Order: sequence, then C-alpha cells, then structure tokens
Amino acid sequence: MIRDGWLRKRIERCGRAALLAAGWCALVSVTGGCTIGRYYDGSPLRGEPSKLVEGQSTKHDVLQIFGPPTQIMHQTDGDAFVYTYQQYNYSSFRVQDPILGYNWFTYSRQLENRDRLLVLFDFTGVVRSIAIDHHVEAMPLL
Amino acid sequence: MWRRRLAALGTAGVAVLASGCVMGRVYRDHPLDEQKIAAIQPGTTTKNDILNWFGPPQEVDARELTAIGVPFEPFISRRGEKPPVERMVAARYFRYTYARANAMAIVLVLLNYGDFDQKNDNLVVFFDGDNKVEDYAFRKDTELLPRFGFWSR
Repeated sequence: MIRDGWLRKRIERCGRAALLAAGWCALVSVTGGCTIGRYYDGSPLRGEPSKLVEGQSTKHDVLQIFGPPTQIMHQTDGDAFVYTYQQYNYSSFRVQDPILGYNWFTYSRQLENRDRLLVLFDFTGVVRSIAIDHHVEAMPLL
Repeated sequence: MWRRRLAALGTAGVAVLASGCVMGRVYRDHPLDEQKIAAIQPGTTTKNDILNWFGPPQEVDARELTAIGVPFEPFISRRGEKPPVERMVAARYFRYTYARANAMAIVLVLLNYGDFDQKNDNLVVFFDGDNKVEDYAFRKDTELLPRFGFWSR
C-alpha cells in the first residue's frame, strides 16, 4: 500500500516534469521571438542654426559651425549644403511552426528618421535661406 | 526546494547555451592625418599640396556651370532646345573620408538585439579659381563611435 502511493507520486512528479520540459521546448521552438535592431548613420547635427543670419552669414561661417556637409549641391542660383543624421529602428515579433518552419505570424515595424539641415547660398557664398528638421529624437523606442 | 533551484539553474544554463553574441568592426579607407589638416592655409595651400598630403580624394566635384553670373532666362531650356552647356572647368572641392562602423548583436532564446553604428571622419577642401584652398572643414566623428553598442552609448 505504501509502495503503491510512493510509485504513484513518483509517476505524477515525472509526468509533471516531462510536461514542463515539453512545454518549454514547444515555447522555445514555436515562438520565433522578438528582434530589435538599431542602425545609426553619421552623427547628430552640431551647432546652433540660429547663429546663422540670412543675408549676412557666409559659407565660411557655416563650415565653422557645422563642419563638412554631408552633401554639396550646385543650383543655378548658388550652392546648397545638406547636413544629415539618420537613424533606423527595427522591431519584429515572429511565431514560427517548429516542424515545417512556416511563419504563423510576423509583426514588424521599421522607422527611418532623419535630422536634416539645408543651407542655401547665393553666388557670392552668402546664406540665402536655412531649413532644419529634427525627427530622430522623436522616434519611439519600439 | 533544491529541485526548484536546480530547475531554475537548468533553465538559466539552457538560456546561456542557446544564446550568442556577435561583434563586428568595419574600417573603410585610412585615418586622416590631423597634423597635415592643421597645416592647410586658405589662400596659400594649393591643390597639388593637398593631393601630395592626402592622396586621391574619395569624392571630386568637377562640375561647374560656365554660365554663372548671367541672367536666369538662358538656363530655362524650351522644348526642343539643347540644355545649358556645362563643361568640366576645375575641381571645386575634394572630399576625404575615413569611415568606421561597429556592429553588435545579442541572440537570446526569445529576444534578439542588433546594433549597427557608422561614423565618418570627413575633410572637405574647397578651391578657388587659382587652384588654391579657398576654405576647408574637418570633423572627426569616429571617436564618438560606441564600442559595445547600447552599453557604451
């Protein structure tokens, strides 16, 4: 009688452990998991655009304050300097079939934002106009 | 009690064994000599000096409009007319770059994280019509590169 009870308890315990192990294996193999990615290109824009005065500041001032531009363009009415800082955030959640490898469910989100500064010059190299856009800091984490 | 501890330890062991870490480094071109950059003098240093000091640039801007300074109307080409003539006059600027990137990824059982950061050292030298340096700008950003992704950001 005592022996039977001990055996039953032992079988129950083993069964519970096996079930737990199987559950873990299923969870690990079925759930593909979450992926988070970050891509940064360049450095945050430096300098204060409010230091530039349209019609007064020169190309030299712009180079001193902001450094080398990411892109230099020539327009028919003067040059343009473009400064860019780019960030790309990626996140995904995937549930996969453990045997066939099919994706049962995938959710992914990609955000690509830039900080941009555009400075337009006239032919004499004086700042004609400025445009600035900040979007990187406002990006959500996921 | 000890069984629970053992199970927790086992689970942690499996998680560690099933996880991985990836690190990558990218280096493009070679570092720019800051002593030579400090020696650049606008109005004195010539294009030949720059080429001797830094070698061939990664980017050469050799496009210059011949019609600069004339009224705007001739630039607007009408249907059937040839576009405004452009010819290669002289390089207006040279760009030298040194790029570095650090990549890091952590692959856990249920969560993966990847981080790729690229930064450049950038030197742009502008020339005047006499092939002398008109202006230049240098920015060293590779020093700002985090060594171990978000941990050192």
